Amino acid sequence: MRQRHDQTEIRIAAGATVDVLRTLHDDPAFRFEVLADLAGVDTGDSMQVVYHLWSETTPDWLRVIVVDLDREDPRVPSTTFLWKGAEWMEREAYDMFGIIFEGNRDLRRVYMPPDYTSFPLRKDFFLADDASRSPAQGVRHMEQVHAPAESLAPIRRSRAR
Amino acid sequence: MATQIPSLDDPQVLVQTPATIYDAIPPYAPRTEREAEFYTLRDGEMLVNMGPQHPSTHGVLRLVVKIEGERVVDIDPVLGYLHRGIEKLAENADYHHAICYTDPLEYVSSLFNELAPVMAFEQLLDLRVPRRAEYIRVLACELNRIASHALFMGWMALDLGGLTPILYSFIERDEIVEMLAALTGQRMLFNYMRIGGVNGDLNHEFLSRLGDWMGHALRQVEANTTLLNENEIFLKRTRGLGRLDRRTALSLGLSGPNIRACGVPYDVRRAHPYSVYPELEFAIPTREEGDSYARYLLRVDEIKQSIHIIDQLIHQMPDGPVMANVPRRITPRPGRAWAAIESPRGQYGCYAISDGTDQPYRFRIHDPSFVNLQAVVPLMPGNLLADTMAVMASLDPVMGGVDK
Repeated sequence: MRQRHDQTEIRIAAGATVDVLRTLHDDPAFRFEVLADLAGVDTGDSMQVVYHLWSETTPDWLRVIVVDLDREDPRVPSTTFLWKGAEWMEREAYDMFGIIFEGNRDLRRVYMPPDYTSFPLRKDFFLADDASRSPAQGVRHMEQVHAPAESLAPIRRSRAR
Repeated sequence: MATQIPSLDDPQVLVQTPATIYDAIPPYAPRTEREAEFYTLRDGEMLVNMGPQHPSTHGVLRLVVKIEGERVVDIDPVLGYLHRGIEKLAENADYHHAICYTDPLEYVSSLFNELAPVMAFEQLLDLRVPRRAEYIRVLACELNRIASHALFMGWMALDLGGLTPILYSFIERDEIVEMLAALTGQRMLFNYMRIGGVNGDLNHEFLSRLGDWMGHALRQVEANTTLLNENEIFLKRTRGLGRLDRRTALSLGLSGPNIRACGVPYDVRRAHPYSVYPELEFAIPTREEGDSYARYLLRVDEIKQSIHIIDQLIHQMPDGPVMANVPRRITPRPGRAWAAIESPRGQYGCYAISDGTDQPYRFRIHDPSFVNLQAVVPLMPGNLLADTMAVMASLDPVMGGVDK
């Protein structure tokens, strides 16, 4: 548990997601009824899913981070049984990061076309015209597989854990 | 022998249209439970494609509507026609640069798009903003809120087939837009907020325009609403339509006027006060009905509250600098920040992660229209096809925000 500014942060494992979020939502002592945000994060060597919750019992935002998801096959239980509105946000996280939300009835791509194969917000997906990378690395096509070749620059590792 | 050039006029030439994503029934097997359920047609049902270029989808949204006769059975919104990958672009730009990418997200209320990321970055930097800058920010945002709501009123009437109100609401919006142009230098994509303050101080032209406008703002709102409030056609097509109850609205995660029209007083300005809102006096209007008409009336009430807020801001405006000391190249310490504000459409959030470099490591925008648009799926079944757009307009989604 960490506290900074007006945010309280807790970190949980994927297996505990359902229990933790259900308790936060249903328990009359917590009553976190508003799901303010659901975001995927690629830290470079693992995936995270971040929930921001709001409750009238506390002035703070609660940030629940599901950590250490396998980068090759990230799986989290869906929270659509608590918040129906999480459905599209989970679709977005799936579309952008390839995170699979087990139990979501409609886990399709939401922005990219259905035949698209890569996950654009992963850190090893480089923009074709990314000016911050040296020209020697050449231009990679947007649709290239998302795993980078050995010769290319390593993934930008996060120091923000 | 001359080469034959196939002509489209020649009946022998078959024009082969490849299967595209525009096909109402996708040319592949259903991938999810919901897709299988939606694209299986029972007797008497048919699919109608609305959009992506339909004039009243408020941008480029495609709705696949399953109808039986005139009644809507189910609806499947297809997004992504306006997706520009702004999150990715911002992650490849430095912190100052990222702000101007967010402008075209929700293009009718751009100042709010800038405010949330700026607030998140200031959290990362542990930066204190001068009080005058905070006041100017709120002043500009409240003006933008009125402009956005005024446009909504006209748009909604336009979707119901009434042409006149949009002309009046554009008068209202134009005055504000000109005012903001005097302040920021731009009419739509302002790029006014800066990390640590705002781009420029209040100037004479802005203040004189603001003074003129404040003199007749309330009267003008009243005049505009008389066109619609008791209009028989407007009432018939909004009252009782698209009704949401409290529980569904909370579960769908709606925010802004849409949830307050269902009786939930959730407004980030009160729920989690930011900037100078704790010092201001204003009411959070709510309504119990939860239908399209309530959502319309609620926005009218909000315009009045915003005028009240602006009145206080002008009178309490402190002196001082409008910009903190911020270097050109900023490298916040590694950390995470979340800032949420109340935009005209609801809770607008920005989640930023810093890894110690001069670019945001993760830049996430939570857009209220994206979440609010989900409500069309449970709202539509049972309605007439012609009311689809009327109900959708009352939710006030802006596709620039939905598609990022």
